[in-house]
Amino acid sequence: MLKGLLLSGCLVSLWVVAQGVVFHVCAPQKAFASMLKWFAPTVPLYVVIFLLTPADLGVLSSRFVGVDWRLSLLNGLGVHVLLFLTAGLCYSHADRSITVRLLIELARAPQQRLTLDQMQAICGVEVLMQDRLDIMVRNGFLAIRDDRFVLTSKGWIGGGVGLLARSVLRMKAV
Amino acid sequence: MKGLVLAAVALVALVIGSAAALRVYGGNKEFKVLLGAFVGAVALYSAAFWLSPPDLGFIAPMWLEASPTVDFGNGLLFLALIFHGYWCFAYFSCLSPSMSVMVALRRRRGEGLTRSDALAIQGGDEPVNLIFLRRLPKLLDGGYVAEEAGAYRLLPRGGRIATLGSFLKRLINASVGV
Repeated sequence: MLKGLLLSGCLVSLWVVAQGVVFHVCAPQKAFASMLKWFAPTVPLYVVIFLLTPADLGVLSSRFVGVDWRLSLLNGLGVHVLLFLTAGLCYSHADRSITVRLLIELARAPQQRLTLDQMQAICGVEVLMQDRLDIMVRNGFLAIRDDRFVLTSKGWIGGGVGLLARSVLRMKAV
Repeated sequence: MKGLVLAAVALVALVIGSAAALRVYGGNKEFKVLLGAFVGAVALYSAAFWLSPPDLGFIAPMWLEASPTVDFGNGLLFLALIFHGYWCFAYFSCLSPSMSVMVALRRRRGEGLTRSDALAIQGGDEPVNLIFLRRLPKLLDGGYVAEEAGAYRLLPRGGRIATLGSFLKRLINASVGV
């Protein structure tokens, strides 16, 4: 199984570097779509490299070789997809975290101090919601009709997932 | 293969256990519940891995990984990556302002939502909105900020997170302000 894990790890590392360059050069509006677009070719590439290389990759000891190659291939593919999803979530943490944004604003403030009113003006609910509503419209979850936000079919499914999750996982807003 | 099977069992236990624990948990530090569930799942996985037979009584010989260490690590990797996804899903689906808007719109059944309605969901018309009601006590308790003369001051611990956050935002070319 180590062969699949190593190949996946190498390809994901290369993709992370390439994606970083894409973010700086192209500054895509739809970040996740861009990540998906640049990641997608690595999946067939992984399969091709797996099939064309020897079981020990020329470096692995014999004790790490021996499991059915199909299991190794699928296992590596599973890790490959999970690493991509994890990278997408890490992007989201860095881009969307409200707490981190709050701390950055405090760090940039004179004497690193802000009153509650100042914090609410800089990154309070008005700023945040405008930002989020724009993103949801841009990503096709919401549409604007007669100055009101309405769900698209994509948003309808998303809201359904949220309703279901909230009925199972009880987490409080405050 | 053994690691994957046991990781799947541990994950099911983690999801059921954490969902049950969240129902009885009274505080607002749900991350402790989720982390506790993860630690429990890892302990369950580790104990089951080292105490059970290599084939678990049903795995065919051709599906057995030659190195137990690789098998164990592989299962643990799957467990950790899926737990991270579950953690993010739980927080996003239950607390995210974006999801709150979509859930509110589902409940309104096509009625739509104005911008001020969306603000009201997050307590925009309250003196201290939900964003701050939830986060400020945690930042104060955790030693990230201190309250002084009616203002909040960044402490060194919070400064380190801000520096890391700024670095990550630069890495992904995201705007630091809004």
